[in-house]
Amino acid sequence: MIKINTVSGVEALRKRLLKERKKFSATLSLCGGTGCQASGSRALIDAVKDQLVKQGVEKSVHVRLTGCHGFCEQGPIVVIEPGNIFYCHVLPDDADEIVSKTVCDGEVIERLLYTDPVSGKRIQTEAEIPFYLAQDRQIMAQNRHVDPCAIEDYIAIGGYSAIGKILSGTAPKAVVEEIKASGLRGRGGGGFPTGRKWAECREAPGDEKYVICNADEGDPGAYMDCGVLEGNPHLVLEGMMIGAWAIGARQGYVYVRKEYPLALERVRVAVQQARELGFLGENILGSSFSFDIEIARGGGAFVCGESTALIASLEGKIGEPRPKDVHTVVDGLWHRPTTLNNVETWANVPSIILNGSAWFASKGSNGSKGTKILALTGRIKNTGLVEVAMGTPLRNIIFDIGGGASNGNLIKAVQTGGPSGGCLPADKFDLPLDFEALAEAGSMVGSGGMVVMDEETCMVDVAKYFLTFLQDESCGKCVPCRLGIDRMLEIITEITEGRGHAEQISLLEELGYTVGETSLCGLGKTAANPVLSTLRYFREEYEAHINQKQCPAGVCQALITYGIDSEKCTGCGVCKDACPHEAIMGKKKQAHTIDLHLCQKCGICSSDCKFDAIQVH
Amino acid sequence: MSPELLDSILEGRRSQPHQLIEVLHDVQEHYGYISEDAMKTISNDLGVPLIEIYGVASFYKAFSLKPRGKNVITMCTGTACHVRGAKPLLNQATSQLGVQPGETTQDGLFTIEKVNCLGACAFGPIVTENGDYHHDMSPGKLRKLIKSLHPTRTEETSHD
Amino acid sequence: MLQYVNMKIDGGDFRATKGSSVLDVAIEYGICIPHLCHVPNLSEIGACRLCIVEHVVNGRSKVTTSCTLLVKEGMVIRSNTEKIKKLRRNIAELLVAQAPNSRAIQDIAVRCGVKEVRYPFRNENCVLCGRCVRVCSELFGAKAIGFVGRGKDRRVEPPFGVLSDLCKHCGTCIDLCPMTFNPCEGYMKSGEEHLCGKCESQMLLADNLPESCVWCELGEGFQCSRY
Repeated sequence: MIKINTVSGVEALRKRLLKERKKFSATLSLCGGTGCQASGSRALIDAVKDQLVKQGVEKSVHVRLTGCHGFCEQGPIVVIEPGNIFYCHVLPDDADEIVSKTVCDGEVIERLLYTDPVSGKRIQTEAEIPFYLAQDRQIMAQNRHVDPCAIEDYIAIGGYSAIGKILSGTAPKAVVEEIKASGLRGRGGGGFPTGRKWAECREAPGDEKYVICNADEGDPGAYMDCGVLEGNPHLVLEGMMIGAWAIGARQGYVYVRKEYPLALERVRVAVQQARELGFLGENILGSSFSFDIEIARGGGAFVCGESTALIASLEGKIGEPRPKDVHTVVDGLWHRPTTLNNVETWANVPSIILNGSAWFASKGSNGSKGTKILALTGRIKNTGLVEVAMGTPLRNIIFDIGGGASNGNLIKAVQTGGPSGGCLPADKFDLPLDFEALAEAGSMVGSGGMVVMDEETCMVDVAKYFLTFLQDESCGKCVPCRLGIDRMLEIITEITEGRGHAEQISLLEELGYTVGETSLCGLGKTAANPVLSTLRYFREEYEAHINQKQCPAGVCQALITYGIDSEKCTGCGVCKDACPHEAIMGKKKQAHTIDLHLCQKCGICSSDCKFDAIQVH
Repeated sequence: MSPELLDSILEGRRSQPHQLIEVLHDVQEHYGYISEDAMKTISNDLGVPLIEIYGVASFYKAFSLKPRGKNVITMCTGTACHVRGAKPLLNQATSQLGVQPGETTQDGLFTIEKVNCLGACAFGPIVTENGDYHHDMSPGKLRKLIKSLHPTRTEETSHD
Repeated sequence: MLQYVNMKIDGGDFRATKGSSVLDVAIEYGICIPHLCHVPNLSEIGACRLCIVEHVVNGRSKVTTSCTLLVKEGMVIRSNTEKIKKLRRNIAELLVAQAPNSRAIQDIAVRCGVKEVRYPFRNENCVLCGRCVRVCSELFGAKAIGFVGRGKDRRVEPPFGVLSDLCKHCGTCIDLCPMTFNPCEGYMKSGEEHLCGKCESQMLLADNLPESCVWCELGEGFQCSRY
């Protein structure tokens, strides 16, 4: 690749690329996100490439292994242009037919199409699928057009034109004002106005300043940043370049979670390619602007999502937060002014510069502008990454996009904001996805995790789950977080084991309040939310555990017993073989029974039974 | 442990204390764990007090201070995997291998690890075996997977 | 030349040296703010959270530790509101349940108004205040001990758990450790885990002058920086 020295050089390259690509008769986009790779998309792309060669069309067809398409539930996914044909659950064996029929003859393969669970009809194009129809995909939609390891793909769809626009004559201060006017707020959880952060950092005294991209997405059950960084790394890099120009930084860092090997690899390739083409380095595109990016690996600590802990980690230290009486925009990395934003926040920047702040501000609700990517997971039909305008009611997200409960159960709650957020009950589903509205209801938008729970989910167990997580992830520095979480978990464990008593509910509330008010960093300040929100909306479940010694959802091990429904049991023996405690007895083809004295309630038999014969009492 | 490899990891990073975590990642990747000797060398070469290296290495989950097993079974216990049944999977692994998460079997063949999220939430519960993803796992599938990794190993079933 | 700022603590006007913390000013003027991890001349880590105060900015109050909060011109601090007292009491209760066999921790609990402890006692021998770690590295430069592990596994240890020749056996870590003072009635036996409450007489004077230091013996017990 030849280094580009002018802004017009980028435009020229784009034109050339678009012209070159016209010669392709078809384009295949295969989803290669972490999810689809887990379900076999690597083998699929090899099979497709083999078939193209075998059938002699490899020169006229463009195959692209892209980032996440969002509809993970249906993976591996293939989208074919022209025609916007959407194939789901594609296996390597299907490659032959896809190439010979669809690619060569334009014929649609019925059995690979998506079936709408409501109407039962097969849907041909991606655009018509209800899951996508109900979304507003500003960032996610780009993934399909980009091979994350090919900078040309990003340039072809208009990439690096925002930085070009700025370098041709927008003053840094004007960039800050534009971001301020857009109303963009931090997508990592806090929701702090991005423009204000940039302005403070810009005005902070000091010659040496830094920008950091926080890609240490630690929320369990959330992978938005993974989807963006893995799918379109150049978008994030371009956002960081614009931010660096605005605040006056020459050096940036991307702090990537080690548990995302694919994202790490792709952002490394992206930085390398950007350097080769002259988007990073000295005198970018022939301007006076010089900027480079280094990549650092996170060490597996949730607390490092907190800005001061992340900075400590970048400095090679223990990821311990420090008191934020002086903000990181003034005193950050190596005590220098530092702007730290999350992946999705950076990814929003280029389009604001290109389309203007008014365009961005036209989406969303009063105080929350633009779109937000959510990881919709849990006991729901359509799981995946979704992007909606802020202000969209939760109901639309769960039912229109998510398609409702996965197994006909009643949805009873949605957990938003991960371990810092809370559980909202079904009667709050009309709330808009809005920073203030969710905070008022005792939860938060957070980084965008959305785990749907149904009647088979025990809310006390959910609170216990998050406390266990937080106890594991607390750095242990300050007393309320270390000991407070520990004691809350101790109390909740007693409750889930049927040893709780009524006064413990108010103790939990008081302790939760103390931990929230007095902890040093964001982790501790929000740690009680899962407990406090479930106490607020699902108090009756706590009371059932305490007073009746029952777990209404049938989850808490100490309060349930397993039994076998002799009507449903076929005597296949799977459970008997599976039981590690030899607690299941019975002859082949006769109903089996469980010896309750031997049963350790591990739940293995119930997960393995194909006939739903293991019952919880 | 070959000193040459550690030497090449440290190359270009000497006297740069902020490179500590990157160095530890590389040592972990190449040696499977971080030994006391490695920490002493790193302390010397980067100019970081030994206690700080020990503190950092014991703080982050990515680093292991003891050698890990030949096969590392990693269980995702993220929220999405949790509500989809990660607990029985953990029970399966611990009872089949007879060790708890973070521990290695006596024969050095298996280590069980827990991780908070692997970013493949839609396909939960997820288990990885030496980095390869297995989606929609059930205790039965996991039992077969573990068995397939070492068919001759006798199972240590714990009856606690 | 020293520079000064004017500020308010609990309604009173104070002149404070620029660069000092709110806790420094309070100690200097005899305002009682209980504290544990703060030791003069060592860095502030804000770990024990006992020295919390309300910092009022634009009419909104924020709970923050006074040891890490630097004084500013026109600053308004409330150190002894009902809210602060309750939060402080709850933190002290967590601490004393963890280490009931330390006289210093018991004294802090009494000073913060803990009457009963609602959690089962654990007899830990460290509350991770970090006085030892900081004095070892900051005052003596020995770096023989440090924080190891994280969360509930966090502990103070020398490298690899074995004391090395980095330690010069100066003993300052032990001098500063709040766990080295035995309770006045001796070690608690299991099953007799409760606060004796005898020191509460010390509180008779303090209760009448809640904001002021009355040189109570409790402060001596937990090495209040005034002593």
